[in-house]
Amino acid sequence: MKNPSIHSKEHLAYLRGVKRKNWLIGIARFAILFLLLMIWDLSAKHEWINPFITSSPSRIVETIKDLYKSGTLFHHVNTTLKETLRGFFIAVVLGYAVALALWWSEAARRISEPYLVVLNALPKIALGPLIIIWFGTGQKAIVFMTVLIGLIVAILNMLNGFMATDENKILLLKSMGANKLQILTKLVVPSSLPNFISMLKINVGMAWIGSIMGEYIVSKAGIGYLIVYGGQVFKLDLVMSAVVILCILAAAMYAVVALLEKLVIKNK
Amino acid sequence: MKEVLRFENVSMHYHSKQGETVALKEVNFSVSDGEFVAIIGPSGCGKTTLLSLAAGLLSPTKGKVVTDNVSFGYMLQKDELFPWRTIEKNIFLPLEIKRSNTPEHRERAIALAEKYGLKQFLKNYPSSLSGGMRQRAALIRTLSVDPDVLLLDEPFSALDYQTRLSVCDDVYKIIRSEKKTALLITHDISEAISLADKIFVLSKRPASIIASHEIHFPETEPLKRRENKEFSRWFEVLWKELNA
Repeated sequence: MKNPSIHSKEHLAYLRGVKRKNWLIGIARFAILFLLLMIWDLSAKHEWINPFITSSPSRIVETIKDLYKSGTLFHHVNTTLKETLRGFFIAVVLGYAVALALWWSEAARRISEPYLVVLNALPKIALGPLIIIWFGTGQKAIVFMTVLIGLIVAILNMLNGFMATDENKILLLKSMGANKLQILTKLVVPSSLPNFISMLKINVGMAWIGSIMGEYIVSKAGIGYLIVYGGQVFKLDLVMSAVVILCILAAAMYAVVALLEKLVIKNK
Repeated sequence: MKEVLRFENVSMHYHSKQGETVALKEVNFSVSDGEFVAIIGPSGCGKTTLLSLAAGLLSPTKGKVVTDNVSFGYMLQKDELFPWRTIEKNIFLPLEIKRSNTPEHRERAIALAEKYGLKQFLKNYPSSLSGGMRQRAALIRTLSVDPDVLLLDEPFSALDYQTRLSVCDDVYKIIRSEKKTALLITHDISEAISLADKIFVLSKRPASIIASHEIHFPETEPLKRRENKEFSRWFEVLWKELNA
């Protein structure tokens, strides 16, 4: 960037305008959230709406406080977080490896194509009963569900990235005498880095779907468990609180991936 | 002069579900040490196939490609620099591939880059260089493993006209001062005349060589050659042959 003092008056005005707009958008975002929460809270307090059914921001805060005091908040958060992260990492690593193998062998790619398409379209929750019978009612079943949901998406996304490698760059490496492994390590892997990052982002979402869905089917603890339990005993404060916690955790995990993206992709 | 590359009755057929395409039919020519040879032909006549055969990336359906134990360096239409590598790391790429990434070889490559005006860009990423500079970096990358013969696949066609003329001049000077043999394929007649000592003309598909010319100019530099009266005469001759 050039020294700001040498910018013309018009350019400075333009820069101020950009800054102002960014500010306004930031403020609008908060204002909407704040307004909605206030209307919600006031309506519940004055019983314009039934707080038993709708809960309210202050009741949610109370519920989270109670969970914290009783010492169960972190137990539930940890349970779900562990399941999610485990499922996420297994799906990502396994998905990457399978995609590599499919890139390597055209025959494997063609043979597996119909299977991948069907498995991708299959709603994984249909396998719920099977998973319980195979893996029992412990966390294993939930992690398996998480892996199942993320894996196919990871494979397809990465394979797309690998296959999109520039043909001319492959030709260039071949002309230098490169073998397939060198083409993979020098070109295919680094050039598909943006695909890897976007795959991670998609899989953050998939992992949370997997773990919460897994907990719906079978669980003794966790945020999904709180939601199901809250629904069953009609404690909607608990359901709402769990959803809020989920929002915060998912946003945090996404932020970590976004940070990774900034660190890794500098020269595009 | 020693022959470094010879095509003997080389034919190349491609197979697809739609049928068989004959890309090259009984192509004969040779390139001697130190020559700058250009092959011109209409678009889509199998010029790139010809270079791939020379580099050994393809084997001919019939005939023989004879090389006298020489190493090849390939230069493509676009620079194909890897955007995630600095210019320096791009130039080292062939060394890494050939597993000869030793300090001496790296030094040699760096010296070459510095000699041809890339010193200040070595630590930059390709995205910050102009098209001409990028193509120059691509040439230095090709030269970093010290190949005997350069195979140039329309290396200037992706550049705009102004840049093309100066990069053409540039590349010519570098190739000459490094005393490399070069085989250029192009559909640009004036490019061929301004660079080559010898020109082969390819016919439409199935391509075979229909004419060969030795080009002599008192000037050696491409830009100077373009000003010579002989230039337009050669242009006319080749134009007629290409469109026969």
